[in-house]
Amino acid sequence: MVDLRDAESDFARALARLHRRTTFAEVLAERSEGRTLRYETRSVDLSSNPMISGAVIRAWGGERWVEAATSAFDAGSIGEAVEFMERVLGPEAFTHEPPGPSATTRKEWSSGPARPMRDMGPEQLTALARDVLGWATELPEIHQGQVVLAWEEEDRFYMNSAGARCFRRLHRVRASAAAIAFENGRVEFDVLSEGGLGGQERLEFLTQDRVRDTARNAVGLLRAKPPPTGEMAVLLDPSTAGTFAHESFGHGTEADQFLRDRSYLKPILGQEVGPEFLTIVDDGAYPGGWGTIFCDDEGNEAGRTVLVDRGRFVGALHDRDTAAAFHVRPTGNTRRADFQSRTFVRMTNTFVEPQDWTYDELVEEAGNGVVLERATSGIEDPLGGQMQIKVKKGHRIEHGRVTDLVTSMALSGKVLDFLRAIRGIGVKDDFEIETGYCGKGQTDLLPSGTGGGYLLSRAVVGPA
Amino acid sequence: MSEAAGTAFRVADQLRTESPWEVFAERARRFELHLNGRALEMARGPITVEGFGLRLFRSQGDKTGVGFQASTDLSEAGIREAVTQAGTIAAFSHFPTRGVDLPGAGTAALVSVDIRDPILWDRPMEALLEYARGLFAAFDGKHDVTPSFGSIRATLTECSIANSAGLHTAFAHTTVEVEVAVKAFGGPEGPPPGEYWVNESSRRLEPGLLPARVEEWCRYARDVRRAQPTPSGDLSVILPAGTLSGILPFVLGFRFTGRARLREVAPKSGDPVGTASLTVHDDGLVPWAVGSAPVDDEGAPQRRRTLISQGVASDLLYDSLHAGAFGTTTTGNALRNDTLIRDWRRFVHAPLAAATTIVVKPGSGGSDEELIETAGEGVWVQQLGWAIPDVLTTAFGGELRIGYRIRNGKLAEPIRGGTVGGIVLGPPGSRSMLHDLAAIGSKGTVSEAVCTPSLLVRPLTVAGA
Repeated sequence: MVDLRDAESDFARALARLHRRTTFAEVLAERSEGRTLRYETRSVDLSSNPMISGAVIRAWGGERWVEAATSAFDAGSIGEAVEFMERVLGPEAFTHEPPGPSATTRKEWSSGPARPMRDMGPEQLTALARDVLGWATELPEIHQGQVVLAWEEEDRFYMNSAGARCFRRLHRVRASAAAIAFENGRVEFDVLSEGGLGGQERLEFLTQDRVRDTARNAVGLLRAKPPPTGEMAVLLDPSTAGTFAHESFGHGTEADQFLRDRSYLKPILGQEVGPEFLTIVDDGAYPGGWGTIFCDDEGNEAGRTVLVDRGRFVGALHDRDTAAAFHVRPTGNTRRADFQSRTFVRMTNTFVEPQDWTYDELVEEAGNGVVLERATSGIEDPLGGQMQIKVKKGHRIEHGRVTDLVTSMALSGKVLDFLRAIRGIGVKDDFEIETGYCGKGQTDLLPSGTGGGYLLSRAVVGPA
Repeated sequence: MSEAAGTAFRVADQLRTESPWEVFAERARRFELHLNGRALEMARGPITVEGFGLRLFRSQGDKTGVGFQASTDLSEAGIREAVTQAGTIAAFSHFPTRGVDLPGAGTAALVSVDIRDPILWDRPMEALLEYARGLFAAFDGKHDVTPSFGSIRATLTECSIANSAGLHTAFAHTTVEVEVAVKAFGGPEGPPPGEYWVNESSRRLEPGLLPARVEEWCRYARDVRRAQPTPSGDLSVILPAGTLSGILPFVLGFRFTGRARLREVAPKSGDPVGTASLTVHDDGLVPWAVGSAPVDDEGAPQRRRTLISQGVASDLLYDSLHAGAFGTTTTGNALRNDTLIRDWRRFVHAPLAAATTIVVKPGSGGSDEELIETAGEGVWVQQLGWAIPDVLTTAFGGELRIGYRIRNGKLAEPIRGGTVGGIVLGPPGSRSMLHDLAAIGSKGTVSEAVCTPSLLVRPLTVAGA
């Protein structure tokens, strides 16, 4: 396995050479290794991550950033990238400072688990998946199932001409078990999934009881009614509350959208947007979080940024460019999807902090409405402030009690109306960080965590 | 074509394996312009990647072990490592076919299909800059509308495929992705700004179309500002090609394939799946369509297949593996990209049986204006937030980002908010989009992975804001 730090002296020479032509240069190297096992009723597909690694070099060109990338770490390939940069850097690159502060962090991080997934060979992975698939497909209505076990070790190594040197190794694990039910031409499924940073302990949620429950839910969905439609009380489960925090609210706090005047939240920074018990946070160092990065791709330590503090919208996410424009510090949220992609301001783990309502209290408070369970997707609308979240299933709430199972739904409405209508947030026991992949627009996908407790508000529910 | 187009052949020359094998390779150059308002924020490129995806097939009695490994290491040692990894993976993977019948040397003669923009190929960055200038110029004189966020990205790819059946084939293609958020704003006490989000993939840059396209985008952005709440109910709904591109390729591109058949969710030939006026093809040779190519990603010729004929299920789509599992032959539908996220580096993915371009045969519904007249009262869905259907249940739905009320057979006020959705494919007698088609327009439009006229569905559930 390549250790990116082996190329440190070559990177340092490249930075020193570029520093003669520019006020600032940086290099980010990346590699990953991992396996995915997809175990289905009729086929088994084991795959490994592409053997691709590389580095991107970025320098300040006086007015804008200039970049070159290489997929090899030998001195010759790095030298070629530097030569390209030297050709395009004009004289102004040495007279103008880049926007914002340059990171000077010197630190290494590893999420190193006690039992790394790489120690689990294909035989063990296959044996576990076979057992889980067996539990998922015991019922006669379940003809098909799918178990996915996946892990990845991702290394990123960052150096810059201001002296920063950061190395991080992230161990990501995710797993899921799906049961597919059939009856009279109708198909339904349910899926159990979790993930985050860690090792083999991350797979312990795949218990016989939970997988069997998932299969029973899949069968239940065959006979489930369509959801009610229209505006009503909505109780979001933790996965749906997390998707709301990320897609509906979080994207509007990415300060590059402030710079473009493309955020409905920009004009209301500092204002009250929700009840006093509402706090929304982005945290790139959340222990075990799927979106935890420890250090961003500009060499800034990632950490906790409070976006909504007790109902007041107080913070945004910044890279060095936006930090300079708004006279604040970068928040450690600069991310590249990979070494071939540009930087953007991005979220890490974004969540609604848990409060003190129990599930039963929230259901009773709702009166009549619907519980939305198992978010499947969401989409941002940073300028318009509309929301759309889709969920796999749910339950009706009638007269303060949970009643019928209902099929997939979409939630829509205005985010600010939704925030103002929040009536309760669930306890910490129900809180979890879910796995997801987020794009900036339609591209640049990267891992992002979302979370929350149960959250009660009001919105429009429709088919999905 | 440059010397680099033969990457797969160079890798193949160094393979030392007894197993059947296949190499799919690409040399891709990527160029990007990122926009901030009407200014160029960043120009990137060329970002060059040359790599290969190797598959080995190992017999396991009545099953076949399949090992796939992608790499950018083209050295002898790198190729050896990829072979070792693929071999290890093949030992633990299995697919329910006794063997795989890869496309052979006889399929090497390529049909001609327009998938390479010659101007973009020869002068990529200049072509992108010219397009960006054209885009900005189209906003000249518009003081209430501007692009706020966007990118124009082009990928120039030399693709080559070789396999143990003797296939050696290569071709070149271009892809373009344009993303522009168009913002309408202004007015002393006016409504909040409105946005229309353009997100399109195609094979070529067409700067000549920009003035008309930008006018259209600006109209939608302005209409977002004056949009009224969406009505509720089971209504007549018209879905144009741009909206259908987020629905049909996902559902039909999965349910009409060997992948779906393996999971027992594909329709059987002869099953009624839609109205009698509905005929749908998969066509891998539509000029300039993103799914078009002379051969698929295993090297089998792409062609036209009938999926639905007069409302009745017809053919399914296969790659070599799924064809083997069902005792049939590949239909030229092995694709290394997913309909949802199109990765510009296709070699990092193993192929799957999938649709190329879903073509809905034009019907007798007439022009869009005539469809609107037929609808009488209802909703025109210009853009849904994220319709992406669940391919197993075929349920789809999304927030109405911009649409129009249809009143008295005419388009009326813009509407926004709420959700529109339903089921694409359902058993006969149940409500589904394909069974509830009231009219099919008479002129098809290519949009991403579909070529379809507008469709009038009656009824579809609308949950208003």
